[in-house]
Amino acid sequence: MSQPNRLASGGLIDRATPLAFTFDGRGYTGHPGDTLASALLANGVTLVGRSFKYHRPRGILTAGSEEPNALVELRTGARREPNVKATVAELYDGLEARSQNRFPSLSFDLLAVNQLASPVFVAGFYYKTFMWPAKLWEKLYEPLIRRAAGLGRAAEAADPDAYEKTTAHCDVLVIGGGPAGLSAALAAGRAGARVILADDDSVLGGRLLSDRLAVGEGSAAQWAASAAAELASLPDVTVLTRASVVGAYDGGVYGALERVSDHRATPLPHQPRQRFWRIVAKRCVLAAGALERPIPFGNNDTPGVMLAGAVRSYLNRFGVAPGKRAVVYANNDDAAKTVLDLTAAGCEIAAVVDASGDAPALAAAARSAGAPLIFGGAVVRAYGGQSVKGCAIADSRGRSFNVACDLVAVSGGWNPSIQIATHLGGRPVWDSPRSAFLPGSPPPGMDVAGAASGAFELAEAFAEGGRLGTEAAQECGYTAAPFDAPQTEPETDAVHGHGPWKPKTSRGKAFVDFQNDVTVKDVELAAREGFKSVEHLKRYTTLGMATDQGKTANVVGLALMAEITGRSIPDTGTTLTRPPFTPVAIGALGGAHRHKEFRPTRLPPSHFWAEEQGAAFVETGLWMRAAYFPRAGEADWLETTIREVNTVRTAVGVYDASTLGKIDVQGADAGVFLDRVYINGFSTMPVGKARYGVMLREDGFAMDDGTVARLSPTHYYVTTSTAHAAQAMRHLEYCRQWLWPELDVHLASITDQWAKYAIAGPRSRDVVTALVDDADVSDAGLPYLGVKEVTVGGGVKARLFRLSFSGEMAYELAVPARYGDATIRAIIAAGEPFGICPYGAEALAVMRIEKGHAAAAELNGTTTAFDLGLGGMMSKKKDYVGRVMAERGALTDPARPRLVGFKPVDRSARLRGGAHFIPREATPTADNDQGYMTSVAYSPSNGCWVGLGFLANGPERIGEIVRAVDPVRDGDVEVEVVAPVFVDPEGVRVRG
Amino acid sequence: MAEPLVARSAFRPHVAPLASPTGVAGVTLREAEGLTLASVAAFRGREAELADAVRAAYGIELPAGPKRVASGDVAFVGAGPGKWLAVSSGATDFAGLPAAVADQSDGRTVVRVSGPRARETLATLTAIDLHPRAFGVGDAALTHAASISIHLWQVVDAPTYEIAVFRTFAATFWRWMVEAAQSRGVEARHGG
Repeated sequence: MSQPNRLASGGLIDRATPLAFTFDGRGYTGHPGDTLASALLANGVTLVGRSFKYHRPRGILTAGSEEPNALVELRTGARREPNVKATVAELYDGLEARSQNRFPSLSFDLLAVNQLASPVFVAGFYYKTFMWPAKLWEKLYEPLIRRAAGLGRAAEAADPDAYEKTTAHCDVLVIGGGPAGLSAALAAGRAGARVILADDDSVLGGRLLSDRLAVGEGSAAQWAASAAAELASLPDVTVLTRASVVGAYDGGVYGALERVSDHRATPLPHQPRQRFWRIVAKRCVLAAGALERPIPFGNNDTPGVMLAGAVRSYLNRFGVAPGKRAVVYANNDDAAKTVLDLTAAGCEIAAVVDASGDAPALAAAARSAGAPLIFGGAVVRAYGGQSVKGCAIADSRGRSFNVACDLVAVSGGWNPSIQIATHLGGRPVWDSPRSAFLPGSPPPGMDVAGAASGAFELAEAFAEGGRLGTEAAQECGYTAAPFDAPQTEPETDAVHGHGPWKPKTSRGKAFVDFQNDVTVKDVELAAREGFKSVEHLKRYTTLGMATDQGKTANVVGLALMAEITGRSIPDTGTTLTRPPFTPVAIGALGGAHRHKEFRPTRLPPSHFWAEEQGAAFVETGLWMRAAYFPRAGEADWLETTIREVNTVRTAVGVYDASTLGKIDVQGADAGVFLDRVYINGFSTMPVGKARYGVMLREDGFAMDDGTVARLSPTHYYVTTSTAHAAQAMRHLEYCRQWLWPELDVHLASITDQWAKYAIAGPRSRDVVTALVDDADVSDAGLPYLGVKEVTVGGGVKARLFRLSFSGEMAYELAVPARYGDATIRAIIAAGEPFGICPYGAEALAVMRIEKGHAAAAELNGTTTAFDLGLGGMMSKKKDYVGRVMAERGALTDPARPRLVGFKPVDRSARLRGGAHFIPREATPTADNDQGYMTSVAYSPSNGCWVGLGFLANGPERIGEIVRAVDPVRDGDVEVEVVAPVFVDPEGVRVRG
Repeated sequence: MAEPLVARSAFRPHVAPLASPTGVAGVTLREAEGLTLASVAAFRGREAELADAVRAAYGIELPAGPKRVASGDVAFVGAGPGKWLAVSSGATDFAGLPAAVADQSDGRTVVRVSGPRARETLATLTAIDLHPRAFGVGDAALTHAASISIHLWQVVDAPTYEIAVFRTFAATFWRWMVEAAQSRGVEARHGG
């Protein structure tokens, strides 16, 4: 029969719609509204997984996100996900799940022999067993342990799904959609406050869905549905279902993971799989409810042992009987509802065991069920192996007897879900009457309502949630009426229970932390070995360190330790929890920003044209720059680069220099300002001129270089290197706003405003002449280092500079960026008669090395202007940022590594950047290190490799031969120290 | 004399995809073309002179703080203490103002974002609260969209936002908007 354990009626499931799914390859059916766990139970499947360490058979303990046992692999292929809790995985048609951590099959697991070796696997076994020989750790022990103790397998293919991140602001964030949370959201929402209600379930209601209770005029579930409908109708209320709030952060910020598509086989088109919410809330009401805790007894992990509240969820919400004949073992009156609900569903109650002997409602329920009541007794041990077949019960006088059953419903009381209230360090406080930790000092702006605050009774939860919702709205400035809580049936308030923590037998393992296989004996061992602090207990036994973060285990483990060491629970202490409350996929934190979209890509104005030319691109920071422009028949990048260099040096080439940082500097004090930030002066530079400049950091080291052009007495145009553009702008703004606010000077980034092309080579003037509308660009009309405003292409305003980075006669033509694409095409057309070619970053680098110009490799943050051979530029007549610090003795020591050039003695040898300089006869050790090579290139003009680098006393050692040693690549090349200029040392060509 | 130069948008379809309309467009993206933009900063001690000049030329009271004031084709959007972004939907020469003026007509690309799900879409990229109670017509913000600096202001209640982004970041910004907008129904058009 299909779904043998499905009740004939009841539950919030759509019985008319069957959903087919498989577990370990076997087909089953369930219904919309089911979780994988409820559907498995409906089909009579109770054995769901194997445990982490001992490979013990495990079933379903809970009905929520605290589940430690029923972890499965969900989906297949690239979407395969391990450790999915069957209790929260919503059923969809075609769902495929597999049990994990078993070999070869779930019911016959060879690794269950680990249990025989369990003395080895007790607490601390890692530390004790795999100590020696230590060298075997990485190669042998760790892989073995990982394979034997692994939980599930991650997908091997890349994640095919999309994720989204978003930010939401609200007045009141309500965490949890149970009775307290719904009341809080309604109270605040009705007042007009902006409310976000987040609940990790697919349906709002919390325990209202799981308990058979009357609320208002109808059932609890009906009240929840009408509350949800009202919330949906309020325009400024946002309800997030399937959304777990996972952390509280500073400033009223909360993180939440919304499982947008996890209830589907695959996400709908364009939908993310999950969405991570960053919620900024003025106030927060934490109404996360409470989690039931077990009572340890022998073999308490046998499938069929289930928490009493979870039994009610399966009966009432899912219409599933988790067993036919149950033993209910509880220390509190709350479990009375489980007895009554089981009876109502037609299940037999084999026995009710009242652990505390003072639960009147439990006794009454047992009587009404006609079941034997064992007053002050205990379940000692479950038996049955792969599923519960019965349990041994001891009465108050210690007499033991066996009772046949297929379900043991356990309740050791309830732990308020206060985890999020502790995320900012607020210590929980032990409340003896309730036998539970309550929030001590929640994060600012957070109030705690309902079961999370210890208000376990339904009426209390409605009232407290409503009151805190009203207050939160009022705090945000809204006029909020008191919340009118619905009528509820009288309920017992004795839902708290205290112990017993220690089982009455040593037969059969009694588990505290199911997911990490930590037993009562492990806790006892930790205490014996001196690990009595809760922090030590946790780390020595791994209690609470699994993916469930010990939601069902921590308080029991702590209480055990208290009992063993004869201390009170508050004296024993408790650990704090950290975000996330439930696991979050890294993909969700990255959102849409992954792969190439991890960061922005900046495209210079010639990019699309360069694509058409088949350019090879190179990433430079965020920029995509053309590296070189290969032509048919060229073998490699080097051949292309050599051709491009030769074309520039003999004819003309064009390069997109738009990536340089460009800053507009205006104001009466613009010149004074620039004098203070550059080592050289600009206030006396004539209008229409440009000059090279170097900026220092405040500590005296070189920060950036570039050119400064003067467009008018109060208007300058500054360029920075591509690499340091943002840093330079930030530095200049800092100087302007903070160091010298009295100066009249204004900065504007105009990097993106201008497309800028360097036209370089002996024929550059011919090309520029053909481009400009009507301007004198001769040496007289625009001499070297001159700048003028011109028009091109029939009236487009442009700026023309006589600047050269290549060492050839060169112009830089800047046009508004919208014309950048047209301008590169115009330059190529105008240059065709003169043999123009575009050149890329590779050729540019070769030519600047040939000219000894410093770039990012030399301006690396550890070099000074003096090191760079630019000491002569450092003005003595004015003060500037970094001057005093740059004059420190150690920074002007001639023995510092200083910039020089290098050529291999064997002219066919290749040079390597990063090689270190060692005297010829010395051994290559750090003691003999005299500097390092920063940039190398094959120089077509020299017919050999050339390099720039920093060598101790470098400029005094021209002509000397040293070794360039590169231990990483086995390089050891003799190099000649030369002046750092390899082409046109007199600088004649630039003047044309 | 050379041929006239053709102006081009920062966008091309292969870097800034045009999502085809899917049912009702929750989000509409448009490149705002033909704008004149300029960064305007008051000279020290001459703030009143600039305010007078702007009032005389455009009938606009220069806003203090992150606000936008518009009149006719022209608007001034706060861009920091004593700084504004001047925006005109036509050809306007802001260079005559007694201030440090830098043309930004090519330095920024402006994207207009509208539609019932515009706010929700923008929330995937910016942390600014755009709820009508927090941000309305006339409000502006200098902020960032993920890792891209943006200057954002609201022009219509409906709502319609205009977002100025550095030209070389515009294609990435567009892609990220389209990525977020696709699940919400998008209609996008640009000048590329």
